[in-house]
Amino acid sequence: MIDLRNLSRRGFLNMGAAAGASLLLPKSGLITPAHAQTPLAAVAEENAVIAFGHTGPVTDEGWTWSHDQGMKAVQEAFPKLKTLFVESIPYSADATRTFRQFVSEGANMVFATSNYGDFLYDVAKRSPDVAFYECDGRNPLENLSTYYLAHWYPTYVTGVAAGLMSKSGKLGYVASFPVPSVFSGTNAFLMGARSVNPNATMQTIVINSWFDPQAATQAGTALIDNGADLLFGIMDEAGYLQVAEQRGAKAVMWNTDIRRYGPKAYVSSIAIDFKKFYVDQVRLRLEGKWTPSQTILPMGGGIDRDAWGETVPTEVAKQADAVRDKILGGWSPFEGEIKDTKGNVKVAAGHRMTEEELYNWDWSIEGVSGLQA
Amino acid sequence: MAIKFQRVPSAQPSVAFAARALAIVLALGVAGLVLAARGNAPVELAWEVLSSTFGSSFGLEDVGLLVTPLILTGLSVWVALRIGAWNIGAEGQFYAGAFSATAVALFIPGPTWLILPVMFTAGALGGLLWILVPTLARAYADVSELITTLLLNFVATLMVYYVATGPWLDPSGHALATTARLPHDVPEFWGIVHYGFPLAILLTFVIAGLLNYTRWGYEVRIAGSNPSAALYAGMPFRRRLIVILLMSGAIAGIAGMLEVAGTVHRLQGGISNNFGYLGIMVAVLARGSSLGVLAGAALMGVILNSGIILQTQGITVSAVLAITGLILFFTAIGNELAHYRITRTEPAAS
Repeated sequence: MIDLRNLSRRGFLNMGAAAGASLLLPKSGLITPAHAQTPLAAVAEENAVIAFGHTGPVTDEGWTWSHDQGMKAVQEAFPKLKTLFVESIPYSADATRTFRQFVSEGANMVFATSNYGDFLYDVAKRSPDVAFYECDGRNPLENLSTYYLAHWYPTYVTGVAAGLMSKSGKLGYVASFPVPSVFSGTNAFLMGARSVNPNATMQTIVINSWFDPQAATQAGTALIDNGADLLFGIMDEAGYLQVAEQRGAKAVMWNTDIRRYGPKAYVSSIAIDFKKFYVDQVRLRLEGKWTPSQTILPMGGGIDRDAWGETVPTEVAKQADAVRDKILGGWSPFEGEIKDTKGNVKVAAGHRMTEEELYNWDWSIEGVSGLQA
Repeated sequence: MAIKFQRVPSAQPSVAFAARALAIVLALGVAGLVLAARGNAPVELAWEVLSSTFGSSFGLEDVGLLVTPLILTGLSVWVALRIGAWNIGAEGQFYAGAFSATAVALFIPGPTWLILPVMFTAGALGGLLWILVPTLARAYADVSELITTLLLNFVATLMVYYVATGPWLDPSGHALATTARLPHDVPEFWGIVHYGFPLAILLTFVIAGLLNYTRWGYEVRIAGSNPSAALYAGMPFRRRLIVILLMSGAIAGIAGMLEVAGTVHRLQGGISNNFGYLGIMVAVLARGSSLGVLAGAALMGVILNSGIILQTQGITVSAVLAITGLILFFTAIGNELAHYRITRTEPAAS
């Protein structure tokens, strides 16, 4: 187990490219070491039951679809095991019931492909023989692993392109909830844009959902009405891309290549791929080598920018990709001095934000409006 | 000789029971046919649902946990119906109760044995306050409580979203913004089922007792079936209406308090799981009977839990919702049909 505190990011990236790096994440300010415990017992492939609980529908062509591709990769790699999945699980006690039902149907592994927090944690605590996973999770247990993506790096890269392409310097962001993924997403994007246009600003609208095409469309329209000419967001579908296409604006998306919904507006996407991760994790469980882990898949190993859109000028693509290469080489854009919206210095000059600080980012940088923190 | 359908004011319990049982069987039959047409194996699915729900303490605990808020929101709507009022706002009162209880838990320090009762009271008061304006508007200005209570649901939902994503946000990060975990839990008495379950049943009996065995309850029931008669007989209709509606709101508030303190442990948007609206179904299924509230809640709980089991078997959410709707639809028809009896009328002898 590698301790994040002793890990340079270059080492992290190199090592992480293969199977994803294992990190230790803080729990209420403390680092809880994952125990070098005995692995969970091996399971014969034909007896194994692997369950997936999703936040959205598997047909969303975005976040949930990508995880579903991961499940299909697992089925292909281990054709004899049984898979279960439930889509569109609400963030309520119904999530607990669904995860409990997976356990009662004999699941050996349960992947929650979103952060279900206590709804998953409480079930994991009562089912010590089942290996649980929580995407974007923050409370690991001896049988509960967490996994996520270093989305802030490709986001910064697309932010550079956004800064170069936006004429007004006003960027818009369709947000789900004021949670770390949204803070790190907005901040990284604006930092990328400001690296080429120091006057860039970003307005956000929170729509209280990860999947609500109608609300996302309304939010996108409102942002463009307010002067934004380039939209970003963290939606599981293509709603605001279509708005951008209609209004002659540009958009950076998440999850998958969905340029066909707005080929002229499409700049790029924060493209994700969990296939290898899921197959590797299931293999560990089947072989009796499973112990808990905390993984953040690095840029180039599960997350990256998508191929640039057709209207992105070659010069812009080149400049942004140069930044991408720099990051892959070990450079980090997330270095002080960084101020919050009130002008307080939150990251001192010379300090490079650690992966856990980026993962747990819970305040907005100067220039972002609309997010409470 | 002719056959005549005659409506009777109250169905015989045995007829009503048979009608409902038949309705559920028919609904399941139709659902099974639809599933078979889609290529699923309905008999195996039914077996999976039955064995998962009743064959393990896991399933029974889940139902117990689901039934608790359903009893209370059902009771809330049912109580208001006794005096002929429609409380469509159990959802909002649920949120208001959860909100108030959370405020107490987060901001008043103290030992659990002391704070839990305070949270309980706060939850009841929260629900009561949420229905106060609709109650007074109905009692003094004859404004339909059906509309006002419904509209306040949206206000309560957004209020909870606001505090959970804003001032009370736990910054440690969840996919859905929530408050911090409450420091006080309603203790569990069986698996994951907390003491809210027996409490909800007890409350149902207490209220049934009040309505059935006190003069006050008698007046409420008279006022419910015929307000003019009640007024003519000198019964204080307005006072009874106010008390009943406030009680209705308080019960839904208690449901919200128990859900946040017993089941979810954090305040967040969506915590109600639509229990307020499902309470309307429970009350409709229960008809006039207080025990019917318990039975209706149990039926709803089993249906909702079956829905989750079906989803793990690859049936989509929309199909599950359709089956749920089908069962309720057939039951409602069965309920109505139970009120008819077939009589033969002989032509008058010449």
